[in-house]
Amino acid sequence: MANANTIIGSSITIDGEITGEEDLVIQGTVKGKVSLKESLFVESSGTVEADIQVAAVEISGQVTGNVVASDKVELKSDGRMVGDIKAPRVLIADGAMFKGHIDMER
Amino acid sequence: MAAEGSGFIGKSITVRGTLRGESDLVVEGTVEGTIELRDQLLVQTGGRVSADVQVANLTVYGELTGSVAANAAVSINAGARVIGDISAPRVIIEDGARFKGRIEMEVPLPEGLGAPSGGGRGR
Amino acid sequence: MATVVGDRIFINGNLQGDEDLTVHGRIKGTVNISKSLIVEPSGIVEAEVQVANAVVSGVVVGNITATDSVEILKGGRMVGDITAPRVILTDGALFRGGIDMGDVKADDSGLADARARAAASRRPGAPARVERPAPRPAAARPATRPSSPARPTPPRPAPPPAPRAAADVPSAPTGMGASAAGGGGPPAAPKPPSPPGGRRKKILLKRR
Repeated sequence: MANANTIIGSSITIDGEITGEEDLVIQGTVKGKVSLKESLFVESSGTVEADIQVAAVEISGQVTGNVVASDKVELKSDGRMVGDIKAPRVLIADGAMFKGHIDMER
Repeated sequence: MAAEGSGFIGKSITVRGTLRGESDLVVEGTVEGTIELRDQLLVQTGGRVSADVQVANLTVYGELTGSVAANAAVSINAGARVIGDISAPRVIIEDGARFKGRIEMEVPLPEGLGAPSGGGRGR
Repeated sequence: MATVVGDRIFINGNLQGDEDLTVHGRIKGTVNISKSLIVEPSGIVEAEVQVANAVVSGVVVGNITATDSVEILKGGRMVGDITAPRVILTDGALFRGGIDMGDVKADDSGLADARARAAASRRPGAPARVERPAPRPAAARPATRPSSPARPTPPRPAPPPAPRAAADVPSAPTGMGASAAGGGGPPAAPKPPSPPGGRRKKILLKRR
């Protein structure tokens, strides 16, 4: 469980853009765009329909959209993602579901 | 409670017209018209003021309807009923007060905030 | 369960939900939650806000409609209109805009409790006043003035139309008794200087 200042709780739906310079935990629904200089954690109740641009992202929930990470993308065993990943490091755990392209070129 | 030299309008009195003074005024009765004081107007519970008010300090426990311009502070206390526009550097509204109208205070905002002039709904 | 927006986060869009929302960072757009919005001192909310409660220590630019209460604390700043049955402006808060608490002349339940709350927190220096008898429990009492006995409880989810200057009082659902302005222009409201005023003191205290 991430220890971040910003937590979007499970009953919250955000339709728009989130930008910031700190870690972000999503337990609710975000549609639009997420752009962080730090890490994004999509927890198992989280649903993100957005293009994501972050340093790192850890997905235990659902992501639909393209992800660009400067450090790494990690899809946990309960994570599901449809979209393209561009990151130098990509980890997809056993049990995760993924559909899209992966580009690990630095 | 009335300080020496201050004015006092008892609860069975009605004044219609313009009240001006250098001293404080306590209203337990009814005043209609205009009130201009250098210092404090106190509208007690049961007092009813239907007037444009220009004072330093205004404290309301009763009813007030009208425009208020205060140099110092306006305090609308629990049980008060105020309808009107208030312009003052300090405004206090207590829980249990009832108010309808506008409040104009100077509100400095951080840069880059597009504050609509005069409050949200465009006045 | 609560949502926290940290001080380095900016959300630009529409936010809705069913939990408390604490804002240290910045939100622009609309906020629609069924619980409380708390704007911390570093928080900036530029939005149309619809909530149950709002407590503002930071900056709000936009209108707040609350079904329960809006409180601007010392250091809080707001430009916009507030529509809520309870509004509290603390000394040191800065506010510019309209405030509409609904029917100002209506007698409201809980007034005695509110007075007790206010008296408990009243700052020194407030002028002395005649203290009311201790708040009685809000037991059922016969209505002592000719208004509707079945008045609904104060929180009004549907805000009345946008307030205009000074003299706008929506008429009470039923006849409100001798001196209520009942929809007319308050500056011209008749004010009998006689017993109805005296009776009114007791009425102000007690209604449920």
